[in-house]
Amino acid sequence: MRFTRGKRGGDSQPARGLSTGNGSDTGAPAPGTGAWNPGAAADAATAPWNPAPAADAASPSTTPGPSQSGFDFDRPAPLTENGHGGDRRQPEAAPVPGATPVPTPRPAPPEDDFTFEHPIAEHRPARAHAGDGDGGVGPASSSRVSVVDEQGPRPEPPAGATEEEYKWHTYRVYPSGRPDAVEFIDTYRAFGKNRILRGLNMGLPEGMVSMILGPSGTGKSVCIKHMVGLLYPDQGDVLVHGHSVPNMVDDELFEMRKKFGLLFQDGALFGSMNLYDNVAFPLRQHTEKGEDEIEDIVMRRLNEVGLGHSRDKYPNELSGGMRKRAGFARALVLEPDIVLFDEPDSGLDPVRTSLLGELILEVHRDMMDEAKAAQKTHLPTFCVITHNVMMARRTADYINVLWKGRIVEAGPTEDMLNSPNPFIRQFLAGESMGPLTMD
Amino acid sequence: MNVTGSLETFGDIVVFVLSILGRLANLRVFRHFGEVLRQAGILILSSTLVIWGLVFIIGLQCGIEGAYFNRSVGAPAYAGVFAAWCDLRELVPLCFGYMMAAKVGTGIVAELGSMRISDEIDALEVMGISGVTFLCATRLLAALIVLPFVYLCAIGAGFFASYLAVVQQIGDVSSGGFFLIFWEFQNPPDLLYSLIKAMAMAIIIVLVGCYYGYNASGGPVGVGTATAKSMVFNIVAVHIVGMLGTQLFWGTNPRAPIGG
Repeated sequence: MRFTRGKRGGDSQPARGLSTGNGSDTGAPAPGTGAWNPGAAADAATAPWNPAPAADAASPSTTPGPSQSGFDFDRPAPLTENGHGGDRRQPEAAPVPGATPVPTPRPAPPEDDFTFEHPIAEHRPARAHAGDGDGGVGPASSSRVSVVDEQGPRPEPPAGATEEEYKWHTYRVYPSGRPDAVEFIDTYRAFGKNRILRGLNMGLPEGMVSMILGPSGTGKSVCIKHMVGLLYPDQGDVLVHGHSVPNMVDDELFEMRKKFGLLFQDGALFGSMNLYDNVAFPLRQHTEKGEDEIEDIVMRRLNEVGLGHSRDKYPNELSGGMRKRAGFARALVLEPDIVLFDEPDSGLDPVRTSLLGELILEVHRDMMDEAKAAQKTHLPTFCVITHNVMMARRTADYINVLWKGRIVEAGPTEDMLNSPNPFIRQFLAGESMGPLTMD
Repeated sequence: MNVTGSLETFGDIVVFVLSILGRLANLRVFRHFGEVLRQAGILILSSTLVIWGLVFIIGLQCGIEGAYFNRSVGAPAYAGVFAAWCDLRELVPLCFGYMMAAKVGTGIVAELGSMRISDEIDALEVMGISGVTFLCATRLLAALIVLPFVYLCAIGAGFFASYLAVVQQIGDVSSGGFFLIFWEFQNPPDLLYSLIKAMAMAIIIVLVGCYYGYNASGGPVGVGTATAKSMVFNIVAVHIVGMLGTQLFWGTNPRAPIGG
């Protein structure tokens, strides 16, 4: 199965190569759609994802380099719709010592025009060459770091923790240019003595495929449960499209949940129903559609995930991958604004993991197109929780790295892949040597 | 035994039960009336025969015991007294409760517990559907719709079994003689009280099953533990309801044509 994604995002984006995490990779542009023009100096100022050396920016090159990975992964970033917002956590919103970092107010929702220039381009200056030839990801350019430097003093570590434990947490948030569909604001959550979220500040930008990456046991799945109100924070807040989830009464909560589609690790299909009824279930419960219309929708979704021929099978007759795909179809059937994936790659072989990643991207692209056509208030937001760095590299537009209950760094994938933070570099490269150990 | 823990559990059960009853009271359960009918169908198809079967056997026992006891005291014609009281007031409700606990209660715990640990309940909630309403209130309403008829038929099975044992098997009394005494020692209010006892048992069993299943945790072992706990709770509850019911309905007035 091969999905062509070159159309996505228009022609303004550079192609993203499948970096292996070293500086030279990230410094080389991947084969794109042919529309990427890294050469013009003016373009360089508005094309922040241009990974070419700064010197190259002044010296136009019309031939993007080949992908170092050999993968023909040419999906441009999806930011083709109206960004309609500023950056999450602007410098003036940076935390002060001992105080809660306060996010900036949500920008106004989009009006009616989804065509816009690359939103990040409005906020991020051109980045100099990220690699410095030392075999690793090079230091960030001064322009990129300047965004971070203005964040203000480091937040203090959570109670009971030392500064040493959080020394790799730079709390950098590279701007996405989008408002956040979901925001965690200084969120704490403990299960008995096990403190999972320890002052988490995190955002999932609208209209992007975001990933939450992190070592096991750092609270990634707990985050998802907070988003949909299955768990509540002990302290702090979780906002969905600007509305506080913990402060919702039951009726509001159930209404809010209709915005979500959630793919659980094993699909969480109802064992008492066949595949068709599983996917049709949300439609039957929440809409007044007739059976004919429901059948049209359900079969379209099942065919999208390649399960149209298995409509009469029960979950226990399906393989793990089929259950995941069926769960995906069910999660999408109400056309939610936010789709969450809890480790969709667990238990899948690499090929099927890759195909699932492609499927996620393709569906996201389709939903973006539909959102544009319908002029929806909110752009579709996907969030994937995974340990699979390769999947993250291929699929994510935006990456949050979570560790010890806080975000180490977050930002668009290119920025994260070029991060100078040794923890980020180790994790995204999947290397054994680095700050993260078995402890 | 951890008394504090038990009290906490009991308190949690009370809160949970109130939330289910609230779903019935505000009629939200009727949003899922299709599920109510499905659960009613499951109850009828999967539990009625086994309940009637057990009650039939206990009816035979009551008949046999009554017949031999009355023969031993020289009043075999009064075997119907024992059968009437044994069947209607005590053992049919108890056996109904036993089988409800064993078949329906544990079934609910296992089903909901499995749904819980496989994230199906969370999936339901994320779809914007209340798990308590869809899974628990619907089961309770289905039980309320179906079980009175199941129980009344079970009483009939018990009576029929006692008749077979006393009249057809042992044969110390004629059919007419048996029924004369048998009906003399019971009346419609007794039937209503018996029904109330049984339905109280059934409601507790369904609610306790929903509680332990809905709140199961700890994987398959947790579901097994929850099932065992619910069984213990329900068996104790069945006897407590039986005892309190007898005391309440027949304690001060035996409702029998004895002593004028």
